[in-house]
Amino acid sequence: MLLFRSEQHVDRWCAQWGQPRGGTLTLDQGWQLAQEWYGDRLNLDWRPKTSEEAKAAFARIGLEGEFWKLAA
Amino acid sequence: MTVKAQDTSKLDARLRQYIYRHFVRKGAAPKVAEMATALSASRPRIKESLSRLAQGHAIVLQENGELWRAAPFSAVATAFPVQVGKRRWWANCIWDALGIPAMLHEDGQIDASCACCNLEMIVKIKGQKVATKEGIIHFAVPARHWYDNIVFT
Repeated sequence: MLLFRSEQHVDRWCAQWGQPRGGTLTLDQGWQLAQEWYGDRLNLDWRPKTSEEAKAAFARIGLEGEFWKLAA
Repeated sequence: MTVKAQDTSKLDARLRQYIYRHFVRKGAAPKVAEMATALSASRPRIKESLSRLAQGHAIVLQENGELWRAAPFSAVATAFPVQVGKRRWWANCIWDALGIPAMLHEDGQIDASCACCNLEMIVKIKGQKVATKEGIIHFAVPARHWYDNIVFT
């Protein structure tokens, strides 16, 4: 996951490296995702999120659709 | 769960916690030898535990068996240095870079740059909110394929 100045710079990077356009987030969404994903990481009883938990976390941030669907 | 399974599960949880505490306190990954000493376990037992944690996507190991990543931390230098107070770490990507202050529940700063043109992009977290206006995050790999090649992802 990389950081870019703008959508145009994402397009330029994709063209340069022959990569299809993927999914994009605003910095605010990225921060929300970081809080969802890592907020409990230092807990002793931490375990990886289940697909359902991850799906719910993505939905809270507005990340829905085929691109954000996790493997079961 | 058998007694042996309970023991390995406890060791895995203790080892994971030790790794994260080490990263938080010292800004660097512990070596396998340090893990063995700290947890009073043999190196083979530590390596088995690390393998289980890696299989569960809790960590990523280097080819030599040492720790590479305990997300959001990276054991090696990356393009995503993160500062929280006077402490500094390396993150694996921009998501993980944001993940360090999120995990610590503290404000911080990421000294990143645009992946396209390399222009400096400093991202600041203040009051547990993003205080930087410019910037967009791009995920090249669909979520269902993230663990096909986590390094590229």
